[in-house]
Amino acid sequence: MSYVKLKTFAALVMVLSLTANVVPNVVSAKGDDFNSIVKMIEQFYGVKHVGIPFLAKAGMKVARTAARIKGGEARRIAEAGSIKLAVFENQDFNGEFTRFRNTLNTALNQTWSPLVQTLSATDGEQVYIFVREAGDKFNVLVVTIAQRDATVVQVTLSPKNLALLMKDPEGTGKAITEEATIIDQE
Amino acid sequence: MKTLFQTKLAAPLFALLLIVASAAATRAQDSRLQLNSLDHLSAKASQTVDVNIDEKLIRIALKVFSDQDAEERKIKEVVAGIKGIYVKSFEFETDGQYTAADMETIRTQLRGPGWSRLVNVMSKKEGNLEVYLLMNGETVGGLAVLSSDLRELVVVNIVGPVNLDKLAQLEGHLGIPELGIEPAKPKTKNDDEK
Repeated sequence: MSYVKLKTFAALVMVLSLTANVVPNVVSAKGDDFNSIVKMIEQFYGVKHVGIPFLAKAGMKVARTAARIKGGEARRIAEAGSIKLAVFENQDFNGEFTRFRNTLNTALNQTWSPLVQTLSATDGEQVYIFVREAGDKFNVLVVTIAQRDATVVQVTLSPKNLALLMKDPEGTGKAITEEATIIDQE
Repeated sequence: MKTLFQTKLAAPLFALLLIVASAAATRAQDSRLQLNSLDHLSAKASQTVDVNIDEKLIRIALKVFSDQDAEERKIKEVVAGIKGIYVKSFEFETDGQYTAADMETIRTQLRGPGWSRLVNVMSKKEGNLEVYLLMNGETVGGLAVLSSDLRELVVVNIVGPVNLDKLAQLEGHLGIPELGIEPAKPKTKNDDEK
């Protein structure tokens, strides 16, 4: 092998080893992740989220869901005016847990950290909770999908309230799933 | 005048060094187990919980947990220095939904260099409990717990300096389930005579 070829080979090896370690995964969700995720759910399951009158009802759901996170006291933990919400009602969400989870995680993994994800194949329920820093506060994104309904909620939390979530992430996921069922019955 | 090393061998040797450094960096993360091989069990499980507290979330936890709250202060002390906490748990409605081969995908990783099984560990809970520690020389690099019974499978993987006492303090917090871990008491002479 000539010296030039050897040098080219060495350069190629260098580039490959550097890119393998340094270049992050390319993901699709940028900018407004909340809207991207709502659209992603619509495309994935072939569903549509519902309009304003339903949002008023669901806004209450968010507040109560947040209140339930630690022990069920009536305590609002989301920062005022920070709630973003999309509701899907009475439509089919036909499982495909693994593929949906992979799609969701790939879409969010650049800017969000997946805190806890719970799935129930028997009940057809999925709950995903992601966290990211937002200045001195934190954004929490909760995606809840049941067999016939789904919600996507984004809230801003103070450090104190994020601590509540982090202490018991599994309980949080379960509380949110239960909350969705309870509110529907109220 | 340039030497032979400077003219012909420097670039390939530099490339080799980069590859070695890259391999070393990869080895330093070895205590993080690959748990994706268990993902297919989600389709059979009545409940699957997947907790991923990576280094970024640990850093956030250290920031948001208060020194004024005794419980939060304790967690903060325990997680300081830890690089990640990963939990995967499955609950099934019937027996035999996971196989020995599923367990083996995890155990194979725990037979890697540095990992050793702690034998003197018991659980207050029923079922099987296996605890493994990764040693990087004198220091603990990570810990893994496999807890299983007929209808439940739990894998806990903590990356970074951790020990059984720390793990016991984290049970029930940050997504780590209650494993009931307790170091086995040393045998006494009377025990042997029984």
